[in-house]
Amino acid sequence: NWPWIPKLQYGERVNKPVACKFGSDAYGILVETAAGRPFTARGNPDHPLSQGGIDPLGVASVQMLYSPSRIQGPMKKSGNGFENISWDEAGKLLAAKVKSAGSDVCAITGDETGTTTDILAGLLAGLGSDKCFLMSGETAPAVTAWKMLGGQGTPGYDLENADYVLSLGGDINESWGTVVRNGKAMAANKAAYVYVGAVQKPGTSIPSKTWVACKPGRESLVALGIAAYLIKAGKGMDMPGYGAFSEFVTVTNPPSRIAKATGVSEATMKRMAEELMRAKRPLVLTGSEMGQGSDAMGAAMGLALNMLLGRINARGGVRDIPFAPQVVANAPARDTLLARDAAGYVQAVAQGKAQAPKVTLIVDANPAYALPQPDMVAKALEKSGFVVSFATFMDETAAMADLILPASYFLEAMDDVYTPFGSGQANYTVSPAIVEPVFDTRPAADVLLELAAATGIDLGVSSFEDALKAKAEALGADWDELVEGTAWVAATSTNGYGLALWNESLRALGVPRAADDLVLAPMAKLHLGTAGMPTTPFGVLTIRDTELKNNILCAQMNRATAGKLGVRDGQAIVARSAAGSCQAVVSLSESIMPGVVAMPLGFGHTAWDEFAKNKGDNVYKLMEIKPEPGTGMSLFGNPQVQITRA
Amino acid sequence: MEHKESKIRWGMVVDLDKCTGCGACMVACEAENNIAPTTDSSNKLRTLSWMLVYELTNGKAYPDHDVAYLPRPCMQCGKPSCMTVCPVTAIDKNEEGGIVSQIYPRCIGCRYCMAACPYHARYFNWYDPIWPEGMEKTLTPNVSVRPRGVAEKCTFCHHKYAEAKELARAEGRDPLHLEENDYIPACVAACPSGAMHFGDLNNPEHTVYKMAHEKYAFRLLERLGTDPQVYYYSKREWVRRQGDNYLKTEKTKGA
Repeated sequence: NWPWIPKLQYGERVNKPVACKFGSDAYGILVETAAGRPFTARGNPDHPLSQGGIDPLGVASVQMLYSPSRIQGPMKKSGNGFENISWDEAGKLLAAKVKSAGSDVCAITGDETGTTTDILAGLLAGLGSDKCFLMSGETAPAVTAWKMLGGQGTPGYDLENADYVLSLGGDINESWGTVVRNGKAMAANKAAYVYVGAVQKPGTSIPSKTWVACKPGRESLVALGIAAYLIKAGKGMDMPGYGAFSEFVTVTNPPSRIAKATGVSEATMKRMAEELMRAKRPLVLTGSEMGQGSDAMGAAMGLALNMLLGRINARGGVRDIPFAPQVVANAPARDTLLARDAAGYVQAVAQGKAQAPKVTLIVDANPAYALPQPDMVAKALEKSGFVVSFATFMDETAAMADLILPASYFLEAMDDVYTPFGSGQANYTVSPAIVEPVFDTRPAADVLLELAAATGIDLGVSSFEDALKAKAEALGADWDELVEGTAWVAATSTNGYGLALWNESLRALGVPRAADDLVLAPMAKLHLGTAGMPTTPFGVLTIRDTELKNNILCAQMNRATAGKLGVRDGQAIVARSAAGSCQAVVSLSESIMPGVVAMPLGFGHTAWDEFAKNKGDNVYKLMEIKPEPGTGMSLFGNPQVQITRA
Repeated sequence: MEHKESKIRWGMVVDLDKCTGCGACMVACEAENNIAPTTDSSNKLRTLSWMLVYELTNGKAYPDHDVAYLPRPCMQCGKPSCMTVCPVTAIDKNEEGGIVSQIYPRCIGCRYCMAACPYHARYFNWYDPIWPEGMEKTLTPNVSVRPRGVAEKCTFCHHKYAEAKELARAEGRDPLHLEENDYIPACVAACPSGAMHFGDLNNPEHTVYKMAHEKYAFRLLERLGTDPQVYYYSKREWVRRQGDNYLKTEKTKGA
């Protein structure tokens, strides 16, 4: 009939298990192929982190194989544009630049769970550089906090078996930890779910769900207030560090003070403490609305609450999950990497406080969009001698690079996932390549291994697959089962002893005084993308007119806040912070607490394709970086903002 | 019109107390049903959203405010208003499962069906379907691509029903007695929060039968008499009350 309409193509249909990984979360999916051609993605019922579920990015992941923003082959900068080059030439150029830079090389990666990061970090260490960074997320503050209290690995959260979940700031359905698994766990076990945050969260067991409004960025302070009531009820007296801790939460920072700083009343904190004590298997987790930029001190207080409640290594509680075994020579331990602060380093380079590197390697990350203050990141990249991007898509960072070595997409390359943050048990997934690369791309790990060989660095593994096999063996997992798509899950976790409620550095935890200032609550929503991915072509349909209106970013606030600011619904405004400004339009929503303006992340792309770019503004522009007292890590999630009419 | 009775009534029950409005169902639907992506979807009169997630609010100010998300597929009405108005018999209410389908080659694009549907579940193809270069290779082999000028809507992924029946026949099972999980539309399969359920509304062993018979279950604009095969469920009275045009003094269903 209609010859201009695409015809369907048929063929033998097979489901292939792979792991979908767009951000810190990663989970198993099934990709269905017809005559070898992948066409659809669905959740993998047999994968522990999917359980048949999938998110709005994962479900459109197959189509991204042919995204107009895919980089089709290696390129080097030429004038204002790029010039296509061969892999051979690209490899030689890369090796020459890295050799001449010596130890003056830095790297940023967004891959928190894969062995590619170990290869990158091992390579950097071999070159004599300790400047290998992970993009910021919830893992770093959690691990730093856990270490302070005597933990050895990563805190893991057994959501499946908890009957009362108190989330201090973490949005478990959009940005905190294993999002797909979180949803499945909450739907299945009918636990009561209490969310403390500036923006109301619908869904997930509504009947037993409570929203407690709290000033954004201060959610984890509520843990101090609750802890005070638990101490008063006689909890934790036999625990190491009890004396200093109880003094800190009852005398130095009593609930009255916490109530002023957070906007959560003493009565509410007391009620939550009572509910936690009444629950059989309560669980407390901490995080931030945007899934990054939160504080380690607050995370420590959340973990201390779990300790007071006797929830460590208990069913439905917190487990100490060991880091992945290290199989790449020279590679630093994962907690060493997590303790490094990408945002702080980039800021120091931009401001001339740290020496600019001669070569910057960017793998699986888009810092020029998703680190605070993109302008500052751009400045740091300009200062850097030679920027190499291993991007799959033409993102903002790749567009600024001197050399692009396009990485194959996840369906085209083998990859692995070790225990994404939030997991309740250690787990390991191997994701095989299920199609030949569509364009002239290569897996980033292979290119990095060649670079190591060219610069004379022995990483102790002959190929990427070898490294994964070694990791599987060290874990005691069956390789054949792994490549066939069966995830390995640890039977038990034996760590998590020798913990204490207190660490002296917690004294630096600053409790801010009450403030009337307007504070920003950036909202991370998967359908609008993550730090590494924008919304997909199919995701465009899901954009609401409360998120983007007439192509302008929406600034959500409640009627009372708008009245105070003298703005009305639909009015064009400019939001300014000490870091920068965003164009926006007022969108009234009573889901936002007073004194808060909430803005969705994911807009304001200047690169990518026609589906993602030139829509709204980038909220990262407003994020002012402040070092956390005590840990020195960058905090940036909730700057004060001023609103003026445009 | 005579109300056709079928032994099997495929139906959906959406638990609005669990839906987080994440949008996975919408995206899964577009991918499964070969709906071409658009670079700008802000004009909702021109988009094709077979599945659309609405945001409902109780209209109260902070802190008494509450929100619910309502995913809206085609209601697969027992008495489909769209069908009776179609001048070219392009719409069929299937006797085996009760799915309302659209026969694209017959459709003349008059859009009477869109005007007749009280649920805004029908859409018109204003444009030729165009995929970015290469992306047409990811079209599913299940659903034909529709040209500009025809009306279309959610089909409960009835190609999956056909597949499930074929599989049952091949395995020597009765295709008219499918197990609960044999046939699941793409949106329900994708839902990560356990809000969406699917099955035979006539089969007491299916979850949807049980949920649809609970007192908190309701259907949209039930009193129009369209007899939808999509049910919603909420313990919150204000949510149920938005499901129909209640008089001020009238009691909400389930209250």
